Amino acid sequence: MNSVGEACTELKREYDQCFNRWFAEKFLKGESSGDPCGQLFKRYQICVQKAIKEKDIPIEGLEFMGSNKGKTENSS
Amino acid sequence: HPWETVTTAAMQKYPNPMNPSVVGVDVLDRHVDTSGKLHSHRLLSTEWGIPSIVKSLIGTSRTKTYVQEHSVVDPVKKTMELKSSNISFTNLVSVDERLVYKPHPHEPDKTVLTQEAIISVKGVSLSSYLEGLMANTISSNANKGREALEWVINRLNAEIEEFTASARGTMRNSMAAAAFVEK
Repeated sequence: MNSVGEACTELKREYDQCFNRWFAEKFLKGESSGDPCGQLFKRYQICVQKAIKEKDIPIEGLEFMGSNKGKTENSS
Repeated sequence: HPWETVTTAAMQKYPNPMNPSVVGVDVLDRHVDTSGKLHSHRLLSTEWGIPSIVKSLIGTSRTKTYVQEHSVVDPVKKTMELKSSNISFTNLVSVDERLVYKPHPHEPDKTVLTQEAIISVKGVSLSSYLEGLMANTISSNANKGREALEWVINRLNAEIEEFTASARGTMRNSMAAAAFVEK
């Protein structure tokens, strides 16, 4: 599955693999301590946030983003 | 299928052949709260066949719609709740969905899904056309959603088998509610 930002797809895949493993093997079994995917997530996030700003996607209610309403251009 | 299987599959739902219009999924935020529940905020981007008459009104550059999804997984109570609403540049149609997955109260190897959708269409003369389209899509999507998870579960099982073998291988307002029993 691709990322909304094309450049972020590889980072997303690495993070997803880490998360899916942790989710099924640890979290659902009651061991939610320690998230081994923190670093991967940070790198992936930086990329995604940039892509969202560039594409002017109007997301509301999230701390890291102000909502971008108004005229939009073609997505890159 | 047991709740853990369904929940794991739901977290990896895309891509699947029943939802070909979902073209991108990203996690915007994820954290475990103080009561041990996992919150995830995700952004889904969808590209779906918008009728040309609608395109001529809203412009061909805006054919992607985005869905914002907030899910909460409680591993102790064994519930997964998904709330999603679409965000689009035109705000013509809003679809809010809520899904809850819980273990079946009497059969522990099964999961119950409750699903509701609220569809609103604002102020366009095509509203009755879009409403009709949306209502049909939403109710067939309810079944599609179940098929989609079944597909993902089969894929995950096939991956596990492969691994052990090689190792020795989601107008006017309308509301629809449905309850399913998952195998």
